[in-house]
Amino acid sequence: MSLRCRHIHFGFSGTDKILFHDLTFDWIEPGFHALFGPSGVGKSSLAKIMLGQLSPDQGQILADNNAGMFYTHNMERLPGWSGIGRHLQQITPVHNIEKKNALVQIFGLSSLLNHRFSQLSLGQQNRINLVRYLVQDFDLLIMDESLANVDEKLRGHILVAVKAMFPKALFIYISHNVMEVATFCKQIWILRGAHKTPQIVKTSGLDQKDDNGVEQPALQRAMLEIMNAS
Amino acid sequence: MLHRRIYQFLLIYALGISILLAIKVLVGLSDYVIPGWESLWHTAREVMGRYLSDVMNTLTVAVIGQVVSVILALLIGILGRQATWFGSFIKVAAYNFQAYPIVAIAPIIFILFGDGFLSRLLIAAMICYFPLLLTVVGIMAEPIYDIEHFYRQTGRMRWQLEVKIRAFENLGKLTTVIAGSATLAMAGTIVAEFIAASAGIGYSIRIALYQSDLAKILVALFAIGITLSVYQGLLELGGNLVKRVWSR
Repeated sequence: MSLRCRHIHFGFSGTDKILFHDLTFDWIEPGFHALFGPSGVGKSSLAKIMLGQLSPDQGQILADNNAGMFYTHNMERLPGWSGIGRHLQQITPVHNIEKKNALVQIFGLSSLLNHRFSQLSLGQQNRINLVRYLVQDFDLLIMDESLANVDEKLRGHILVAVKAMFPKALFIYISHNVMEVATFCKQIWILRGAHKTPQIVKTSGLDQKDDNGVEQPALQRAMLEIMNAS
Repeated sequence: MLHRRIYQFLLIYALGISILLAIKVLVGLSDYVIPGWESLWHTAREVMGRYLSDVMNTLTVAVIGQVVSVILALLIGILGRQATWFGSFIKVAAYNFQAYPIVAIAPIIFILFGDGFLSRLLIAAMICYFPLLLTVVGIMAEPIYDIEHFYRQTGRMRWQLEVKIRAFENLGKLTTVIAGSATLAMAGTIVAEFIAASAGIGYSIRIALYQSDLAKILVALFAIGITLSVYQGLLELGGNLVKRVWSR
């Protein structure tokens, strides 16, 4: 799976404000990558452009995929008329039922399956929402603050497990947490204001693959690179 | 909910009667213009049974008219929810039609269909249909992005699911509008009876009006109010029950 974006220009209609000016960047290999940037810089809009949910004024998106490409964000809700266990059962393809059961364990949701979505905490809601995307067949999943409100330890555990379970998928993780992005992501594209040239720059993260943690000097270096670039 | 509706009506009715009696005393009006307590009580004992029967007759027509309106509004609202030319046409047509006073069309209906059941039903249905339609179209045309997003992306969205999501998320609003439309349906039926029909409480009020008998009119208003309060309370209870069962 690869995703190539070429010379993307975009501004919201009815305003003179240019959000993206000549963005060119690639995600050419599977793995856990990040799109990082300050609030309001257009990360969510760029994610929607990458998936064709928004049309750029100019530019091309070239996606090489066989299965689905999805965008999930932390404001999503499940319908209120059924419990989350039943909902998961209904939306999971038959061949992914075992994967669903494993994910429910990893995400710490086993005891919540009889609950309604509205009865869960924000962190639990975000976890269950992410699980229902992970049980689909996909090549690309853009996770926009998908693990917000989840405690740090569990978040790390989930990210490591997801990377191990989906080695062939391309994940683009949108987060404001520099340490998290530097620790768990491989390729980090940093989106900056439209007045900066280039508007998008790349740096590397540590791509942690287990629960053992990373070396502090390396982590500090990676974080510093991200901060300098943004 | 039901008892709240009833005591709210009783309070308002008592307040209205008190104001009338206060005006009578202050201005020194005769019993012929505004009847006193005794006259009201006497009239109530005399005609309440008949009036309640008339109100039930009117309510039956109103309920059937309302059911027809709700079904039609749901059908048209579901069809008109989409951002297509047909959806836009439905919305524009509904907005324009509802701006026209339907009561003004009533004489045409009486000329075409006579003064029986059908005319009353048509007027009741028409009066409560357009406000219902506007609300239903508004609800059905408004996407619930944070729920629908997943289904759209994964290709699972069907029109039935879309309608279900939007109805579920707006069940409180729908229940309120349906309960509110009961008043409109009742008003429509009474107006129809008042204009030309030969049955129902509107017809009885028309006779009382010709006799200049305010006591009878006040008793009729009591019968209408108490019956409508019970009906609206039951509708709200039903809405809550549906929500509880649906969310179980």
